[in-house]
Amino acid sequence: MKFNIIAANDIRIFLRDRNAVILMFLLPMVIISVAGLALGGDFEQNIQIDVLVVDLDNGEISKGFIEFLEEIDILDVDMESNEFAARDRVKDQEYGRLIIIPRDFTESTMMGENSEISIIVDPTEDSQNTVLEKIVEGYANGLSTNVVVVKTVAALGIPVYSEEQIFEVVDVANQFAQPLPVQVKTESTSSNLGEFTSFTHYVPGFAVMFVLFTSIGAGSVSLLKEQEAGTFRRLVVAPISKAEIIGGKITSTFFKGFVQLAVLMIFGHFVFDLNLGSDMLALTVLIAAIALSSTGLGLLVAVMVTTKDQADSVSNVLTLTMSAIGGSWWPLFIEPQFMQDIARLTITAWAMDGFYNLLYFDLGLVGILKEVGVLVLMTIIFFGLAISRFSFD
Amino acid sequence: MNNDAIISVTNLVKRYNGFTAVDGVSFDIKRGEILGLLGPNGAGKSTIISILCCLLKPTSGRVIINGFDIEKNNNEIKKIIGVVPQEISLYHTLSARENLTFYAKVYGMSGKALKKKTEALLDMVGLTERADDRLEGYSGGMKRRINIAVALLHDPEILILDEPSTGVDPQSRKRIYDTIRKLNQKGVTVLLTTHQMEDAEDLCDRIAIVDKGKLIALDTLHGLLDMVGQSDIIHVMTKGIQPDTAESIRQIETVEKVSVDDGNMTIQLVHGREMLAGIIDTLISSGTRVESIQIKEPDLETLFLHLTGTALRK
Ligand SMILES: Nc1ncnc2c1ncn2[C@@H]1O[C@H](COP(=O)(O)OP(=O)(O)O)[C@@H](O)[C@H]1O
Ligand SMILES: [Mg+2]
Repeated sequence: MKFNIIAANDIRIFLRDRNAVILMFLLPMVIISVAGLALGGDFEQNIQIDVLVVDLDNGEISKGFIEFLEEIDILDVDMESNEFAARDRVKDQEYGRLIIIPRDFTESTMMGENSEISIIVDPTEDSQNTVLEKIVEGYANGLSTNVVVVKTVAALGIPVYSEEQIFEVVDVANQFAQPLPVQVKTESTSSNLGEFTSFTHYVPGFAVMFVLFTSIGAGSVSLLKEQEAGTFRRLVVAPISKAEIIGGKITSTFFKGFVQLAVLMIFGHFVFDLNLGSDMLALTVLIAAIALSSTGLGLLVAVMVTTKDQADSVSNVLTLTMSAIGGSWWPLFIEPQFMQDIARLTITAWAMDGFYNLLYFDLGLVGILKEVGVLVLMTIIFFGLAISRFSFD
Repeated sequence: MNNDAIISVTNLVKRYNGFTAVDGVSFDIKRGEILGLLGPNGAGKSTIISILCCLLKPTSGRVIINGFDIEKNNNEIKKIIGVVPQEISLYHTLSARENLTFYAKVYGMSGKALKKKTEALLDMVGLTERADDRLEGYSGGMKRRINIAVALLHDPEILILDEPSTGVDPQSRKRIYDTIRKLNQKGVTVLLTTHQMEDAEDLCDRIAIVDKGKLIALDTLHGLLDMVGQSDIIHVMTKGIQPDTAESIRQIETVEKVSVDDGNMTIQLVHGREMLAGIIDTLISSGTRVESIQIKEPDLETLFLHLTGTALRK
């Protein structure tokens, strides 16, 4: 396989072009800085997870739980006394989530009986739901300790004379349970949420836009430039297959996009204190999926057009449209629903969702499986279409 | 088919969406010769060689190179031919050495062998000292030399050059000729295209004349000139030719062909010198104002006019 020779040569040529290098790194950094600093204030309140709570217990523990929820900044907690009315309000999408605390919740917990907190969610708001689930689970874990202790005391027949003694035992047990002796995750769930600043949006937003410029624009242009310069013919007459030539082009374009996106995220982290989340592997996977899908789109553009200038204008139109609709310039959730639906067709929307899930909600690899899956699917479609259009004559 | 033919082309046809660019061409190239395809722009020369070097698929016909069929053994053929495209097909922001190194790797070379080969080629084309400069700063002739050097990296048995002397200053042209001759002496078979008869006359062992997609003659220079026989060519430059002048000239006894292009008239005739006075008389009496008149011995130009009725050089 000789595709690496082609790829290395491509990158060497790219690095010679100082303007291209500046365009790829410096320009996005300037724009990210300007947009992030200028539009700073607007974002703080924008991401709120609204949740409706029905407290059928009205006991000590349920009140404590509600207080706990209210103290969490990004949660917007409202109360509703009627369970059925509450369910309707979620169904009507007035609220995204509903928590129902069951009747006798406090008593059950104290007496060492099992109980169940229900969360009812609007399935379209995946990431918010996951975050809420994690918060509630975290709290429930603590309560479970109580129940387990009471059950243990009862099972062993340890004599307890008063409620006070039970509390004492529970207290001691809780001390041992903080932090939980067996940890699945090291962090407690709610502290994983980063701060949502303008940079949480604009760093990935503009980084994705510029990666699209790189991969669709520069990627397709580099292929057509070779055709126009005749160097492509030279390669075709050499003992190297077309697949290897195209493979080399794909590799170099992917590599450029990947490095660009990674550098811009790191820039955001060090200069504007952007939280990158705790899962670097997940971030790497997401960046790779974005670079790959836009490389695929670049190849598709290259085979659909015939000249370098056409490639230039088609990729500019594609990039700018996807960036506007897909949420590079403003968060997707401020767009009307039908635009949000259309946005699902763009690389940008899925990329931005993925970034929100990592940089803000910190959901890790599991939290971006859907986004990465869609991007990979897009990649397959783009490459498939490109190959079917590609004349091997 | 000839046994010592290294390339054998039979009934080659290439159509582009209905337009026939190559129209049933057949010829053999002998091992070790320099063969030139001579013809005006648009004759189909580039199309023919693009097919030979596997860039284009023929519409029909058969091409055998060194025993390999072009439709089946593409890869075997690619290993033994070196192609010099008409345009400079190089990376302009890379240096000569980087260009050579890249293509050498594409041809599967590496390490010492690669280094040795690239240095030898730089030396051969006389650009060792400029080897690390970007091509951007090179003159046209220097770029062309590297363009040729790249085609020689894998020691091809056959070298194919498309218009190697087009747009080249006389000095570079001489250098390119020398290089081609030197390679040919080492046993490389050369196929080149040109629309300039000087290239064909000076360099080629045999010349194939191509016009409108057809091969209309193939022989040595002497053989071709014999076809014209005794004809001479008279070029007349005027300030404007009357419509019936050409007809009057055609009436002259030994005149074979007359063609008119703006104010220029080309006359092909036998015994040119003896007939010159009569021609001038006819021109003047028809009211043509003659600016200059030139008589030439038979050459490829004459031959082309003889065969096609049009001038090679427009
Ligand atoms: N890709 C193409 N599509 C359509 N017509 C072409 C194409 N390439 C060449 N031609 C036509 O075929 C004819 C022969 O072209 P070419 O082989 O380049 O001639 P030459 O090299 O002798 O100047 C010309 O009329 C040219 O316009
Ligand atoms: Mg040509």
